[in-house]
Amino acid sequence: MEIQNLFVSDFLIDFGHKEPAITVFKRRRRPIQPITHRDWRKPEIIEFASLFTARMSCNSSVTRVHVSSVGQTPRVPVHLMPCEIEHNGPAQVSQYLTATMKDRKYEKTVSFRGRGLKGQELSCPQGYTGLVLKEINKTGSDQEDRTVKVSSVFDKVTYWNLETAPNSDDTIVMAMDWPELAEAIHGPVDD
Amino acid sequence: MAAKKTRTPNVQNDSWVVIAAESVIDTQKQDSDPAFVRLRNPSTDAASLYMLGSGDVQLYEVKAFEEDFHSWFVGQTVQRDGRLLFVTPMDPLYLILPYLIKSGKEGKFQPVDQVVTDEEFPACSRLLSCTRSLASMHHIAEEKEVGSLKFHRYSQEKTMDWLKKKVERTVIALKKRNISVGEGVKSTTYVKVKSESDSNEEDYLRYAHGLISEYISEDLSKALLTHLHLPELTSPKETEPRSKKRKLSDNPVEAGEDYTKFNSADFARKPPKKMTAAQKSLAKVDKTGMKPLSSFFSPKVKAEKK
Amino acid sequence: MRRAGDQCWGRWFTEYVSVRFPKKEELKALKVADSKTLTEAEREKLFQNLDEAKSYVGWAVNILSPNVISTCMLQRTKYNLNTLSHDTAIGLVQYALDNGVQLKEVFVDTVGPADKYEAKLSQLFPGIEVTVRPKADSLFPIVSAASICAKVARDRVVKGWNFAEDLGNVDADYGSGYPNDPKTKAWLLKYLDPVFGYPQFVRFSWSTAQTLMDSKAVTVHWDDEEEDGEKAAQRKNNRSMLSYFSASAGGNDQTPTHQTHRFFTERRLKSLDTL
Repeated sequence: MEIQNLFVSDFLIDFGHKEPAITVFKRRRRPIQPITHRDWRKPEIIEFASLFTARMSCNSSVTRVHVSSVGQTPRVPVHLMPCEIEHNGPAQVSQYLTATMKDRKYEKTVSFRGRGLKGQELSCPQGYTGLVLKEINKTGSDQEDRTVKVSSVFDKVTYWNLETAPNSDDTIVMAMDWPELAEAIHGPVDD
Repeated sequence: MAAKKTRTPNVQNDSWVVIAAESVIDTQKQDSDPAFVRLRNPSTDAASLYMLGSGDVQLYEVKAFEEDFHSWFVGQTVQRDGRLLFVTPMDPLYLILPYLIKSGKEGKFQPVDQVVTDEEFPACSRLLSCTRSLASMHHIAEEKEVGSLKFHRYSQEKTMDWLKKKVERTVIALKKRNISVGEGVKSTTYVKVKSESDSNEEDYLRYAHGLISEYISEDLSKALLTHLHLPELTSPKETEPRSKKRKLSDNPVEAGEDYTKFNSADFARKPPKKMTAAQKSLAKVDKTGMKPLSSFFSPKVKAEKK
Repeated sequence: MRRAGDQCWGRWFTEYVSVRFPKKEELKALKVADSKTLTEAEREKLFQNLDEAKSYVGWAVNILSPNVISTCMLQRTKYNLNTLSHDTAIGLVQYALDNGVQLKEVFVDTVGPADKYEAKLSQLFPGIEVTVRPKADSLFPIVSAASICAKVARDRVVKGWNFAEDLGNVDADYGSGYPNDPKTKAWLLKYLDPVFGYPQFVRFSWSTAQTLMDSKAVTVHWDDEEEDGEKAAQRKNNRSMLSYFSASAGGNDQTPTHQTHRFFTERRLKSLDTL
């Protein structure tokens, strides 16, 4: 079994688990250290064990959240747009979006790329706060511990529908049910 | 208009919009940072993302609200990933339970720190640091104290009572939140078939049971259903072939031993289409003084035979 | 009555001219002609003449902003330019009637089929004689007059455009707004924002703007956009491949035996296996 070729193709055959399955190590940049075939009589076993360890370490990695600076983090407006914008980075949101938003009685309206949007503001559920997390020193590896910081905070979300008026059946409105239901499912029960 | 472009994968994602319980960022009593960890999901047995709060005192569940074709504007930036993550406090017992059940099969009282270990998910031992874990262990296990040491043994009975309370709490929250629990289809193209008022107590119980089942194994989920006195519902697709099979083999064999069972309403409704071996052997028996078999069949069956 | 402009600013006016005293000779004396054959200065001059002749010529314009036009045209349930044009014309006739103008005849310019449009208007406004013709502005002096009002009003609005966006001092030298005008081209390149595209001043539905955004702005996908069949299928395939892999990696909660409760699926909530 030519293990290094497999790394190149980004797929690993995982025999170490309960059933044979193909495992993808997503976004792997660095290959796992090549296996030293010390026991040349049973090379496969060493390889499989090594793969298994690799996967375990992927489960053992943690992502720390730096929250100490949260007090000084800027409060920002956040908008959930009904389209996928293929971009991560700066945008003149206040100049284009905020400046042209209109507040109607039951909805807000704006246009984006020539399309009419209707939206409304939602507050974070009681006892909850909005955080935007940003990865620092991104390694691109699944096996190493990662760190994210709180880059901004928010207490309400403006969500936009494409042309349809905001209403209580909008999925994002329904999703806001979750924290209260979670409290019922996870809160302590009486003895 | 120009041709539509196909979507490219978002490989460089490095930011997330999150709605988190305020306790996550409580900087008062923090001595370490909260962290996202991977632990074994008790329902799927696979890895899921959770969060351990500062000092591991609180466990959180991570769920993503994800709809296709969405992106965020965050302040003066675009974030292509349009997901909204929810970080909500979670009962650590749900995650501890599978380990306890597994060791409980040996029937011994054991120290929990020896039970809650997982080679594949090393972070699981940190669950025992959660304030609520040891304090609420009695909900799912019998406890024994020997000196300063505590030993636990899984108790299905206690667990069922504990889960039942969970279901009851959930029912209350569902009602309070006015969540539609009826079977009615709800989507953008179909209107709700059932209004909230049509939902009965059983609908609520089943819905809440379904929610709790997201946190327990399938076996436990079935046991809980029985504990709640709710008959198991199976979809028509599944039951159809199974019931046919049973009708063709099981019943006639029983009938061979005690043919008065042919008279049962159940059998009369769906008689076997063919004579089974048992019936054939019965047919060879001297039948004097016996009622003919056909007299046990309902008129409907006779009509069918014609 | 006519509409003006296929410029990218697409300020697109429908207007009517009502002649209170049908002095056709006088109107001819105003020497109104098809506004397209006139220079901007000539149009301004003729407009002044029209304005001075207010004792027998009245006018009104209905202004549709480029933003209204693009959001209508790009709407999920297509609302085309012709319907928009008809609705605007109908609105103007009604506006005249509501203001006490005793309309006897209405002349309408159209780019679409004239007969159907004429029948539609006649039915809506019984008692008014409706004439709909393609190129009506070169056939009837009254329509020529209307087209001058429309173009002049448009030019003035475009010149004094008040940007809703907070863009500071925007270069006002944006040319005629026709795609072949170098000034317009230069302006369109200068004011292209990679995320937002253009201010509402520009009609997004205009193909020149679309082409520029396709090549220079970031790609935006809407859920109602039509994807090439093969490519869409490919994407779906890619997806299922990926989900299969991540599921077998022990990550996804969508194992075949586990079906997520509808509380979560209805709310598009799911577990994650990685951040």
